[in-house]
Amino acid sequence: MGRIKAENRRSFYIFLAPWIAGFLAFQLAPIGWGLLTSLTNRMAFSIKWKFIGLKNYESVLTNPDVLYAFMITFVYALLHTSLAILTGLVIALLLERKVPGRGVFRTILYFPYMLPLVAVGWIFKIFLDRDTGFLNEVLVRLGLLKEAVPWLQKYPLQSILALALWQSGWSLVIFLGGLATVPNELYEAATIDGAGYGRRLRHITLPLLSPFIFFQFVASMIYAMQTFIQPYLMNPKSHRGENLFLETPPRETFFVMAQAYQQVIEKHRFAYGISMLWTLFAVVLIITVIFIRLGGFVVYTEVEEKR
Amino acid sequence: MAMLQSQRMRLATAVKLVVLIIFVAIFFLPLVSMIVTSLKTMEELFKYPPIVFPRNPQWGNYVTAWTMVRFGHFLVNSLTISIFYTVPCIFGSCFAGYAFSRFRVREKSGIFMVVLSTMMIPQMVTIIPLYILISKIGLADKQWLWLLFGLQGTPFLIFLFRQYFSTIPISFEESARLDGAGRFRIFFAIMFPLVQTAVIVAGIFAFQWSWADYLQPVLFLKGEKVTLAVKLAIGYTDQKENVLHHIGMAGLLYYTAPIIIIFFALQRRFIAGLMSGGLKG
Repeated sequence: MGRIKAENRRSFYIFLAPWIAGFLAFQLAPIGWGLLTSLTNRMAFSIKWKFIGLKNYESVLTNPDVLYAFMITFVYALLHTSLAILTGLVIALLLERKVPGRGVFRTILYFPYMLPLVAVGWIFKIFLDRDTGFLNEVLVRLGLLKEAVPWLQKYPLQSILALALWQSGWSLVIFLGGLATVPNELYEAATIDGAGYGRRLRHITLPLLSPFIFFQFVASMIYAMQTFIQPYLMNPKSHRGENLFLETPPRETFFVMAQAYQQVIEKHRFAYGISMLWTLFAVVLIITVIFIRLGGFVVYTEVEEKR
Repeated sequence: MAMLQSQRMRLATAVKLVVLIIFVAIFFLPLVSMIVTSLKTMEELFKYPPIVFPRNPQWGNYVTAWTMVRFGHFLVNSLTISIFYTVPCIFGSCFAGYAFSRFRVREKSGIFMVVLSTMMIPQMVTIIPLYILISKIGLADKQWLWLLFGLQGTPFLIFLFRQYFSTIPISFEESARLDGAGRFRIFFAIMFPLVQTAVIVAGIFAFQWSWADYLQPVLFLKGEKVTLAVKLAIGYTDQKENVLHHIGMAGLLYYTAPIIIIFFALQRRFIAGLMSGGLKG
């Protein structure tokens, strides 16, 4: 018996070895080293450096520009997450059952999610452009706009949100998967009892979908807090030449990641930039824990039945 | 009564269809704008009032987009790192998923929680220190690094494989074990072929991810070795550093083409595989 157990454990770790190796080398080691570095005054080319405790964090948390970046990053993540979930949910509900061409719609609406961000950023930069943009043209022709609007210059945050919405296919697939788990009998029983679409939605679909919505909310918040490249790609200042990072994005979209990248890579302030990253990491962790705590109240579970 | 109901059903379906078609139309607009822009001349780009459809489609833009930046060269770079990443990523995720679905080890669920919680680590928190460390030991600018980057797999794909393996009855393996086959024989001969759908999903995800990734190539690769993502992010410029939007859009169409082809060739199994395996439980 003992031998089987030992063999079991050995095989388990052999199969897990690639993950463990990657985790130690590419996650744990850089994270640990980064944490230590953030406690120093190290720059890219410094030969001498020393530990200065939490001073970097202090200056991160007292710098109004950085605090503003944290605020705007959080606001963006919240908007991104809510809108993407809403869009995904609406489309998933539309595709729920017998709609002709269901598979085709699903594929088309999921598709933008597969496109690389660099491509999507450029596509939207052109799409929203005041002069060459298609959006203005369509809206003016439909009579919804009187004259062309410089979307990127006037609404930088909303422009990036539009891009995020276009790529909401991920939540669509999650919700379609979730809807497939709802037993059909529940709907049939409710229909026989005379429940209309609205009541079925409120009392059956949404409660049973709530774990999926919740999961998607947390995952999407974590992802959106890390938004980095879009503001650079869609930078409303038209000229940028050979270096993407030469011109900083407008204040409204200069998110934390972009600021940290600029500090480390462009300004060579290793310790300071990494402490910014760590602060964001901490914020993400706190938000996740809060959401998971709150999740207990909003997610429907079948605990009573299981007991 | 029955008549009324079926009529109402038909009306509901019609409304749904109309709304869906509006969604599709909106979703298509950015793509149409991309293609149309790629066929304009430089003058047409800046004409006011704007021209929606170019008078003479400039197919030559596509030739320019290819030759102007030695597109083929960077395409090979992108392909190299994507394949380097994808293959170990499939196996790493698959191995780990198998480990978590099959072995009875006390610390298993604890380790699985660690795997899932790595989803919360922002990519940059690890990548930027890693970049500094790797350039220090002189390994920057090496494309084979991606072979190592892939090994760990991703939490999502590990989860996906675990779900797929969990649906396979243990009796499949037990009979083979009684015949004296070792763990790895069983894994490759019996289990791996049974999770083909998950392998396809994992392959598409890993390829798409590494093909699209900007952060790692921009940090770890320099000059001639960079990928299309890095090259195209800057856009196409002429000698006076004017950004050439029309050529840029043509270049992006090349860049997205492999993803589009793979996605549409495999989309049925891909989306079904995503929905059925990954997300229950």
